[in-house]
Amino acid sequence: MKRIIPREEYCTDCRLCEVYCSFSHTQEIDLVLAYRNGLLKNGRVRVSSRGPVSFAVQCRHCQEAPCVLACLAGAMGRERESGRVTHDPSRCVGCWTCILVCPYGAVRRSEDGSGVVSKCDLCPDLAVPACVEHCPNGALVVVDLEGDG
Amino acid sequence: MGHYRYAIIGNSAAAIHACEAIREVDPNGSVAVFSEERYRCYSRPLISYLLAGKIGAAGMYLRRPDFYRFLEIDFFPGGKVISVDPAKKALKLSSGRIVYWDRLLLSTGFEPFIPSVEGLSSTKYFTFTNWDDAKKLMRVARGPFRALVMGAGLIGMKAAEALHARGGRVVVVEKAERILPAALDPVASSMVAERCRAEGLDLITGCTVVQVRQDSGTGGVAVLEDGSEVEFDLLVVAAGVKPRSELAVEAGIPCLGGAVRVDLHQRTAVPDVFAAGDVSAALDKVIGGPQVNALWPIAALQGRFAGLNMAGRVCSYPGGIPMNSVEFFGLPVLSAGLVNPPDGRYRVLSRHYEDGSYRRLVLDGDRLVGMMVVGAVEGAGIFTSLIREGVSVRGFARSLTEADFGYAHMSRSLRKRRFEAELLRGKQVLGFRKERI
Ligand SMILES: Cc1cc2nc3c(=O)[nH]c(=O)nc-3n(C[C@H](O)[C@H](O)[C@H](O)COP(=O)(O)OP(=O)(O)OC[C@H]3O[C@@H](n4cnc5c(N)ncnc54)[C@H](O)[C@@H]3O)c2cc1C
Repeated sequence: MKRIIPREEYCTDCRLCEVYCSFSHTQEIDLVLAYRNGLLKNGRVRVSSRGPVSFAVQCRHCQEAPCVLACLAGAMGRERESGRVTHDPSRCVGCWTCILVCPYGAVRRSEDGSGVVSKCDLCPDLAVPACVEHCPNGALVVVDLEGDG
Repeated sequence: MGHYRYAIIGNSAAAIHACEAIREVDPNGSVAVFSEERYRCYSRPLISYLLAGKIGAAGMYLRRPDFYRFLEIDFFPGGKVISVDPAKKALKLSSGRIVYWDRLLLSTGFEPFIPSVEGLSSTKYFTFTNWDDAKKLMRVARGPFRALVMGAGLIGMKAAEALHARGGRVVVVEKAERILPAALDPVASSMVAERCRAEGLDLITGCTVVQVRQDSGTGGVAVLEDGSEVEFDLLVVAAGVKPRSELAVEAGIPCLGGAVRVDLHQRTAVPDVFAAGDVSAALDKVIGGPQVNALWPIAALQGRFAGLNMAGRVCSYPGGIPMNSVEFFGLPVLSAGLVNPPDGRYRVLSRHYEDGSYRRLVLDGDRLVGMMVVGAVEGAGIFTSLIREGVSVRGFARSLTEADFGYAHMSRSLRKRRFEAELLRGKQVLGFRKERI
């Protein structure tokens, strides 16, 4: 199963991961158009920075995920095979309990006004997650973890 | 079949997480789930969303319809258990049927506490703790109506907001000086109150209802302490909850302050009988002893540990902390741990932000023991985890109130440890491809 690992030694706080994360979750095919149309929000990865220290944080897809256990609506789940922690927006009621329990601060209120949360989905349709693919510096990498998912 | 390896009483947060945990360890042992209610597992906290019309019935369920079949569990809806006999390892259903078990889980949850108010017992009132309660309210709360809610705790305020959304004129009467007195500090409490009042809720605090009188149907009049009268078309009593420990008490299972006492393996003092969720008093990390925290995530976690231990995987409940996430009229408030410290030993950091947000952090020496955020709630879970794990915040305590506080503010070693902890857990270490990082 896939995991995204930040490497803070290589991060320069350019935030392209945030840009490409938002972009890859739109239907738009042109980045500039997506930007002009105000679609570049709702990034599911955030760079945490302070002075010279910066690195990207997204859902860690925890094995014992506190959000899955705490979700009041059954919207957070865990896929056995891939180990992905999934979020079903159609079941989410926006109670923010997942935000309360995520140790990484990786779940956010959606910025599109939908009243639900959003978080990293590991880009299931892409070979390499968008944030990793577009990091110019290798500050985000994908690792494969073996195990039962 | 009259005999099960595992019998579970209750069908809510604690019960379903126990079922899933049992199946993780023991794929074959027979499991029975008994629920007094008719519904398959659903979310109690969502009844306010249902009442408000924000979700429909389909949105109430926590798991897919084939949940029980998929896990090969025998589910008994409407199966109210009327007694438990730990010596014979049996339980009795209201139908008279006897069922034997090897291991029993009491996950019977909570029930509303009804205060003694003159006239209340002869008045038609509503409670607000389960799906049927919401259905009853949905039948009467239509058209123009006036509602009186007794109690401004979480459940009372949720009921009030939902009734307001249904078009009612709602009055809330609270004994304490402020609303949500347990979960919030005075500042957040007044922020929420201001928002609620602006939306049209009438909040009366520092006052009790001393008498109620029925007029017609569900309507009546309440007399308040100060002598004033409030007319209502429907009355909701939300004066608190208490553990539903009657089965345990009758079976001689030791309780503590009305809740079933459990050890770190969620075992009661009686062999092979476990308890989890709102019915039990388990380890609270903030007070360092047993405590009932009637909260969904805690019930779920206890249920999980009960299930694992029942099925033979011995592991200790890590302890819970009180925590709450509430939102009223679009204003979110998240809190965890000790929000209102009892004495001056604690250091309190608080700050208002330009966007109207507010944050309060409570420290005991180098440890964060409480947090509350209003407004911009992103990242609040980082505080929750620092509290739960008792991490020292020495070196970055002052950064805690910075608007963008995050992992970058912690020391590199702490950050690395916390980030890698998840990856390095258990057998995953074997598959960790070091060369790629
Ligand atoms: C309106 C409302 C809003 C809430 N909002 C939140 C929130 O935002 N966040 C939060 O953390 N918590 C919230 N809670 C609290 C949360 O619902 C509880 O903490 C949680 O449901 C506890 O789960 P449990 O499994 O311990 O028991 P319960 O949910 O109480 O379930 C117990 C079950 O056992 C059944 N039962 C009891 N006795 C018997 C018997 N003798 N035989 C058969 N069945 C029996 C009951 O019918 C019930 O179905 C809210 C509660 C309410 C009512």
